[in-house]
Amino acid sequence: MTQTLVKNRTAQSADQPTLLEVRNLTKRYGEVRAVANVSLEVKQGELVSFLGPSGSGKTTTLNMIAGFDEPTEGDILIGGKAIQGVSPHKRDIGMVFQRYTLFPHLTVFENVAFPLTVRGVGKAEIAERVRAALKLIRLESYDERRPSQLSGGQQQRVALARAFIYEPKLLLMDEPLGALDKKLREEIQIEIRRIHERLGVTIVYVTHDQEEALRLSDRIAVFNHGRIVQVGTGIELYEHPANAFVASFVGNSNFLSGRIVESQSGTSKVQLAGGDTIVAPARPELGVGSAISLMFRPERAILRRAGEAQAHENRIPGRLLESVYLGESVSHTLMTADGVEISIKQSSGGEHGLGLGFTGDAEVCWRRDQTHLFPADAN
Amino acid sequence: MLLNRNRRGAQFYILAAITAAVMVYLLVPLFFLIVLSFNESRWLAFPPPGWTTRWFEELFTNPSWLASIVNSIKIGFVVMVFSLLLGVPTSFALVRGKFPGKTALNAFFTSPLIVPVIIIAVALYGLALTFGLAGTFTAFIVAHLIVALPFAIICISSSLMTFDESLEKAAMICGASKLGAIWRITLPSIRPGIFAGGLFAFLISWDEVVLAIFMATPALQTLPVKIWVTLRADLSPVIAAASTLLIVATMAIVLLVLALRRPQAER
Repeated sequence: MTQTLVKNRTAQSADQPTLLEVRNLTKRYGEVRAVANVSLEVKQGELVSFLGPSGSGKTTTLNMIAGFDEPTEGDILIGGKAIQGVSPHKRDIGMVFQRYTLFPHLTVFENVAFPLTVRGVGKAEIAERVRAALKLIRLESYDERRPSQLSGGQQQRVALARAFIYEPKLLLMDEPLGALDKKLREEIQIEIRRIHERLGVTIVYVTHDQEEALRLSDRIAVFNHGRIVQVGTGIELYEHPANAFVASFVGNSNFLSGRIVESQSGTSKVQLAGGDTIVAPARPELGVGSAISLMFRPERAILRRAGEAQAHENRIPGRLLESVYLGESVSHTLMTADGVEISIKQSSGGEHGLGLGFTGDAEVCWRRDQTHLFPADAN
Repeated sequence: MLLNRNRRGAQFYILAAITAAVMVYLLVPLFFLIVLSFNESRWLAFPPPGWTTRWFEELFTNPSWLASIVNSIKIGFVVMVFSLLLGVPTSFALVRGKFPGKTALNAFFTSPLIVPVIIIAVALYGLALTFGLAGTFTAFIVAHLIVALPFAIICISSSLMTFDESLEKAAMICGASKLGAIWRITLPSIRPGIFAGGLFAFLISWDEVVLAIFMATPALQTLPVKIWVTLRADLSPVIAAASTLLIVATMAIVLLVLALRRPQAER
């Protein structure tokens, strides 16, 4: 179901014109390149996330789009127009910040009205539009409160209303839910999606939380060391990570090192450091003899008792160290003969859900098409 | 724990006694002065033989006392205004600015607090004579501004430091220009600090006596100078009344500053 939803959302925006274009953007602070040669197109009505660890350049890129930082090199275009040198207040961009940035001396009403007030909109129209905006974030009856009388979640919803009230072409969000707890975060994520669909506004959303990125985004741009290392839908990133960094940052993963010993008809045979042989879909740039890093997902693997009938092509024997019950799933840790720990995640309702009832000899197996190869030196 | 009322040991009473002693030590002179200002006797007699408000009447009807009160208020007010006009931009530079020598500049702006006032007074007196400003209203303003400005800067800077600059960014992305954001968001947010700074500036000028003695002429005196000059001639209870007025006004301003600070602390 999620899959169809994502596809629909992507299909919707695919034929839309480009709203935001970032070309070869670079930002240097002295010798340090905070952002290095970033290029990206965002379609009108799309929600694109910048996902990456802290210091990966995602917030710096966002700040350059907002106008708080000037790029060292490269162009930023909104609706086809370059916006370098245009002051933030003339860029017609809405923004929600990580910190609470409601104006403390103004009421909720006055906060949301602020962008209209500075634009000289008439009083009657302001009242009407603020009411509508507060209704959309379900805080109609809070208009007379001060920000200090609101919870963190409510404050960020008001900040959201303040950002979209003047109908900017582009809405930037810089980890807006970073300070909130998990349950509240999910609640407001749903709110953001609803507002995005309702208003059709283009959103660039910065986060370091992969789950949040997957839940919200039409497409995700993964940042590392100031570069975009992959852009794609959540499914593309998870199922076809372009490199070991994306594989490790989006979702959990097991990495094993080895060397390609044979390659034919789209399949590579890999000899692992521990001696086992694994088959994987071939990658043209990785020929025979290449040192590789092999990856598979913990939840795509199956744990078997040693000697039990083989379920999938790939298998590694080992010793089951522990099984930890996590409610919806069980996490097993298997240690291979050469001392590599492999994690396997199984649904707690499945065959071996509550563990094998033993520790000792076991094996992990998984399908060939769930095996990913990356160059060994990458990452 | 030491002051736990449920366990009043010897420690509690010792501390209470010390606190009481300190309070008495600080307040008794003021108490005497206030009592004496209502004293019926022509002399500063204690205990007073009877009570009267005569000295206050004299204070407010005698043209020279009245003039000194009005002068003090006028000078204090102008010093307050200039302290804010100069203090707000200076504080922005000291808090927000990124330039070499910022720390040194910061120290420079607070140096009038450290330099002995008498030295500033002598220097200013010499300067005022050179420019023919001695004894003028302008000379008073210039002198008091020097010692009042650091207080204004300290108050405004400290509240500007606690102000989250991203609020200003938020205002700008909402469509306000840089100056618009400062005017609509930053200044209203640090208003308690600005008010406190202004009141402190007034207070410094209102209480100041050393610089004022140098700058004063018989025709232009502030209240503290008038007290000082009168005291040297005789010991009229009007002095006690004037002092009481000075104390009450000072306390009122200090209480106002405290009241302004409280809502800021709660936020």
